Amino acid sequence: MSVEEKVINKYLIMVSNPHVLELKVKNLNFLFPIKDLCVGVNKTYTITEIKNRDAYLLINRILDRQALKILEELLNSDLSLIKGICFTDLGVINLVKKHKPHLELIYFGSHNTTNYQTINYYLEYCDSLLISTDITLPEINLILDKAIKPLVLPYFILPEVMYSRRYLLTNYQTYYNLPIKKEIELLEPISKEKFLVFENEYGSVFYNHNFLDYRKYKFHNILYYYINPYNLDNNTILDIIKGKEVSLITSEGFLNKETIYKLKGE
Amino acid sequence: MKVELLAPAGDLEKLKFAFHYGADAVYLAGKDFGLRANANNFTLEEIKEALKIAKKLKKKIYVTVNIIFHQKELEKLDDYLISLDKIGIDAIIASDILVIKRVKELKLHYEVHVSTQASILNKEAALFYKDLGVTRIVLAREANKEDIIDIKTNTNLELEAFAHGAMCTSFSGRCVLSNYCTNRDSNRGGCAQICRWELQDKDNNSFTMAPKDLNLIEYIREMIDVGINSFKIEGRMRGIYYIATVILTYRRLIDKTIAGTLTKQDESYALAILNRCANRSSSPQFFQKLPTFEDQYFTDEETSNQDFLGLVLDYDEKNKMVILEERNYFKVGDIVEFFGPDINEYSLEITKMYDENNNLITVANHPGMIVKIPVMITLHKDDLMRIKVFDKQLFL
Repeated sequence: MSVEEKVINKYLIMVSNPHVLELKVKNLNFLFPIKDLCVGVNKTYTITEIKNRDAYLLINRILDRQALKILEELLNSDLSLIKGICFTDLGVINLVKKHKPHLELIYFGSHNTTNYQTINYYLEYCDSLLISTDITLPEINLILDKAIKPLVLPYFILPEVMYSRRYLLTNYQTYYNLPIKKEIELLEPISKEKFLVFENEYGSVFYNHNFLDYRKYKFHNILYYYINPYNLDNNTILDIIKGKEVSLITSEGFLNKETIYKLKGE
Repeated sequence: MKVELLAPAGDLEKLKFAFHYGADAVYLAGKDFGLRANANNFTLEEIKEALKIAKKLKKKIYVTVNIIFHQKELEKLDDYLISLDKIGIDAIIASDILVIKRVKELKLHYEVHVSTQASILNKEAALFYKDLGVTRIVLAREANKEDIIDIKTNTNLELEAFAHGAMCTSFSGRCVLSNYCTNRDSNRGGCAQICRWELQDKDNNSFTMAPKDLNLIEYIREMIDVGINSFKIEGRMRGIYYIATVILTYRRLIDKTIAGTLTKQDESYALAILNRCANRSSSPQFFQKLPTFEDQYFTDEETSNQDFLGLVLDYDEKNKMVILEERNYFKVGDIVEFFGPDINEYSLEITKMYDENNNLITVANHPGMIVKIPVMITLHKDDLMRIKVFDKQLFL
């Protein structure tokens, strides 16, 4: 399938399935989850499988000693097609600056990019970062107003909820003698929240079941609008990019719902 | 190498017990910016008081400032950091890069330790924080022995490792299940511990994922050898019995390890005592290998512990009588055990006991009641009495 569309914004899209690469959309950069350095993804890539110019690499594991070696090997390979690295572990910064200083560094910190002062400190060490999915719309706008560099906005993604080093699915299924599945859906029965859980040899990741959809809001100071399409087909992805209605259960996350943490009476 | 035993302090009473039972330092939180937002926590005045106690004993106080900050919490941060400096605490434990940077920019005097919330598992991440001026890394609980060696060898930073207590299912700081299910922000101290709830899979099977507690009592020697400077005990919400038992057990085993007198029997007895005083089973988790289903629990295995029978208020040398405050039911005929930092475990069968008016009684069944029991060895204020479950001799 080959589809083409003109768009204004710059998008960063995770190549969660190979068919995503068939999208022909201007201002679209691909983000490849890298083999042995990613969790919570259903498809990973080796560096030799990546043929797209200006690609980004996703390294979203918290890296242990062994993973650091894998990363060093990666950084010593030919990365001439690669524009940058989206990373979760701060140890990536020093290694990239040592081996491939020309690469852009985009921090995917998950939950700790929640105010502009913290963000501006991180931006002393990297080129951009992904804004947290745990904050409100006014908080996001303030961050974008004050950030010293353009940022990456979670635009249409499955928001990451939890990342464990444990084999939570295998352990559960082993204990109960169930067939081993590496991707399941779970329900928390009181809140009715649903989660998608992925497990690979490096751990387990929970995502909220509903796609986070920030498309109806206008933002500025954006480097990329980030899309993680999970298993969506390309027509749906195009509709998302074009701002069309899609027949998916979506959510605005915490945009209009501030979390609390101090409870009265406790 | 000096090895520190670091205890949790949920309030001043627990802090005193932690120090009394052998902690070299405690960590505590102020009323704001700690990850137990709904615990008692300490006012600035109480932190001052805590520091007075610590300084007198030549011990240390670390204050957690380890939430992930949203904009509205930032207004009060600088004032708080400066206040802690004026009080003279030894260190803060921080995870937000902003806190680390502000301490340096404000030229404050205390050390900064990076919280386990930062999930540090490798030398490069540790060096990143070292460059920011931190002096100590609180390792991710997921760090294994080889990771620790690599970090120590390449950074020479002080390393603090959780040795005992409850664990997050996720990497600490990487979970917002609580935000989604209860709207309580886990990274600002509101965690509702959803990972200990029952979820359901598509077939309506109950899905659980909670880990057993961490217990590294059998790895003290190896932890010291790989460069752990501080053994951290989890549990700011725990009571004095748990704090006293765990701290004293680790204190004695660390000291024996350093003195070269630790035996396998010491470890076995310690393990039995620790397992008994916790409300969940435990395992070494990540230190030697990746945990399996055996390091989690899948049914409701939490138990209520009633072993703590009494707190020693005084000892009457003349009449050889201990004066206790009752904490759980006990009676004549029970075999009990006293323990404390200045005595070896001492057990006896209660043959007689008296109330505070010296009337003979057969049961102590009111928490807080004063009970007197004849005991031949000298006991001390703040020694504790528990039901005797294990005979130490059987471990020798």
